[in-house]
Amino acid sequence: MNDEAFLDIAGVSAGYGRTPVLKGLDLSIRKGEFVALLGSSGCGKTTLLRAIAGFVQPSGGAISVAGRNVTNLPPDKRGMALVFQSYALWPHMTVAQNIGYGLKLQRKPRGEIAGRVDEMEALLGLSGLGARKPGELSGGQRQRVALGRALAIDPQILLLDEPLSNLDARIRLQVRHEIRSLQQRLGITAVHVTHDREEAMVMADRIVIMNAGRIAQQGTPEEVYNRPASSFVAAFMGAENRLVLTGHAEASRFGILEGSDNAGCLVPLDGRPLASGSVEARFRAEAVELLPAKSRENPSEAVLELAGRVVTVSYPGGLWRHAIKVGTAEILVDAPRAFSPGEAVKVRIPHQVLFLFNSREASPPPKPVSRSGVESRFLEVSEA
Amino acid sequence: MSKRLLGLILVLPALAVIVLLFLVPLAASVVGAFVADGRYGLANFEKAFALYTQDIIFTVVIVSFSTFIIGALSTAIAGYLTLGENPRAVAILRWLYRWPMFIPFIVVGQVLRTFLAKNGLMNNMLIGAGLITPMQASGMLDWRGIVIAFVWKQTPFVTLLLAGAMASLDRGTIEAARNLGASRLRILLEIVLPQVATTLVVGLILSFVTMMSVLSVPLMINAQSPTMITADIAFRINAYGDYGVANALGLISLGVTACVAWIYLRQTMKERA
Repeated sequence: MNDEAFLDIAGVSAGYGRTPVLKGLDLSIRKGEFVALLGSSGCGKTTLLRAIAGFVQPSGGAISVAGRNVTNLPPDKRGMALVFQSYALWPHMTVAQNIGYGLKLQRKPRGEIAGRVDEMEALLGLSGLGARKPGELSGGQRQRVALGRALAIDPQILLLDEPLSNLDARIRLQVRHEIRSLQQRLGITAVHVTHDREEAMVMADRIVIMNAGRIAQQGTPEEVYNRPASSFVAAFMGAENRLVLTGHAEASRFGILEGSDNAGCLVPLDGRPLASGSVEARFRAEAVELLPAKSRENPSEAVLELAGRVVTVSYPGGLWRHAIKVGTAEILVDAPRAFSPGEAVKVRIPHQVLFLFNSREASPPPKPVSRSGVESRFLEVSEA
Repeated sequence: MSKRLLGLILVLPALAVIVLLFLVPLAASVVGAFVADGRYGLANFEKAFALYTQDIIFTVVIVSFSTFIIGALSTAIAGYLTLGENPRAVAILRWLYRWPMFIPFIVVGQVLRTFLAKNGLMNNMLIGAGLITPMQASGMLDWRGIVIAFVWKQTPFVTLLLAGAMASLDRGTIEAARNLGASRLRILLEIVLPQVATTLVVGLILSFVTMMSVLSVPLMINAQSPTMITADIAFRINAYGDYGVANALGLISLGVTACVAWIYLRQTMKERA
C-alpha cells in the first residue's frame, strides 16, 4: 500500500484453534520507523507481533519484508529478532554466552563473537558483567541482556513484546528513552507491543491502536491523541468522560442543541464526518475549565458549557480532581483550585478538546435510504 | 500436660512404625552382616567378595548401562513431547509412552522371556520376515535381556518427570533460541536439557536405586552366572539360610546406591552454593 513499505502486513488473519484473533489486518511500516502496537489485553497485538516474528502461522494474508514474502519462512529466516516480555534469558548461560549465542549458531569465528559481545555490552552498559549468570542481574540489566542478544545478530527488524512491563516504574521511564535512542542510533526498524499509552506516546513514531483484532486508528502520537477517529480510541487515549448530546450538522459546523444540562453551541466540523442526531461527546479531565455556577464571564462561541454539581474532590497531585454530576452522568474534571462538594459549577470544554462521534464506531456512515427508522433506532440504542 | 508432651504423643504411633518396622530390621541386617559363626568380623564380606565379585561388577555395569540408555531415551521422548511440531504424533506418543509404568517388573520379565528367547516371538518374527535364518537365531536371555527389561520399564518414569519439567520451562527460552536459528536438536541439548538437568539426574538416580533392588527380572531372564546381586541374596537365603552373607551383599548394594546418592547430593550442594 506504500512504496516505501519495508515491513508489509497485508490482510493477515490469525487465531488460536477456532477463535479468530486477527481479522484481515493491514499494516505497512517504513524502514527505520518505530511503531507501537497499543491496545488492551486480548486485542490481538501480541498475536500480530508473533505472526510477524513467525511464531504464529497466519490463516490468511501475507507478511513481506523489503518486498520478499516471508509468510511461510521459519522465525530465523526473517531477519527479525524478538525481545520477550519475560526476557527469556537462558539461566544456565552467562551474559556473554546469552548475547553471543545467535552468532555461535551462525558459526562465526570465536574472536568475532567475542568482539561483537564486547561491543554489545559496551553499547548497553553491561561492561564487566559478561561472566555473570542472568540470576545475578537486576531486572533492568536482564532486560538489556535480552536486548543485546536480539541486537547481536544485527537484525533488520527488532520486535519488542512488552519488554518494559516487568520493570519497576522508575527504571521503566529510563529504559524507555534508552531503547528509543538506541533504535534511532542504529536506524533499526522496531515494532513495540504495549498496553501503556504513555510508553507508546514517548517511544513511537507511529502508534497503531488495536481493538478486537483490527486496527482502530493509526497515526503519530499527536494525531491519535488530538484527533481520535472513534469513541474507542478517544477513551483509550484518556478521554474517559462521556456525555450524550444532540446536534445538527451544517456546512462546516456542528450545532449542539441546548439540553437540560448544557448550553447550545456551534463547533467547527473540521473535516469530521458527523451527521445530525445524537452524538457521543468525549473529553479529558485536564482539558477543560471549571468555574463557579454564578460566574458572569461569558464563554466564547465554540465552547460547550455544562452545568453540574461537585460530588467529591481529591488531590492526585498538581491539580484538584473533581467528580461532577451532570444530569445523570458523572464526569471527572481537573482544576487548579478545589471546589467544595455540593457546589454548583460550570464546566467549559473548548472545541479543540471536545471529541464528537455519531455513535459506536461500528456504525456505518448514514446512507440516503428510505428505511430511516433503522438509523434512528440505532442512535437510540447507542444513547441508552 | 504440656503442649510438647502432647505433640510427642501424637507423633508417637508414626514414629513407632518407622522405628519398629524399618530402623530395627535395617539395623539388624547391618549388624547381621558383621556376625559370622557367632563372632563379629568381616568373614561374611570376605565370603561375599570371594563368591560374588563378578556378580557385583556385573550388577553395577548392567544398572549403569541401563541408566545411561534410559537417560538418552527419556531425553529424546520428553524432548519430542516438548518440541515436536506434529500435534498428532505428539498426542500419540504422549498416550503411548506411559503404559510400561503400570506393568509390574515380574510381568515385564515374563513378557520379555517369551519374546526374547531363542525360539521366542522376536526370532520367529525375524525368521518369518526372512531377515534371519533359523540357524542365526540366538536368544537374548542374558545381560541384554535384563537391560532391555530395565530400560523398557524405567524409561517412562524418567520421561514423565522430565517431560513435566520441560513443560514448565518458560517457552520464551525455547522460542528465543528458535528466533536466532537454533535447530530442534540444538535447542534440546543446549537450551532445554541444561535447564532440566537436575530433574533428569533425580529421575535417573531413583531409577538406578529401583533397578538395583529388582529380583524378578534377573530371576526370570538370566538366572545363570553372572547374575545380579539380588538373585544372589535370594539364593543365599533360600538355598542355604545364610543370612550373614545375604546381609553383607545387601550392605554392598546399599553402598553402591549410597555412592550414587552422594554424587547427586554433592552436585545439588554445588548448585546452591
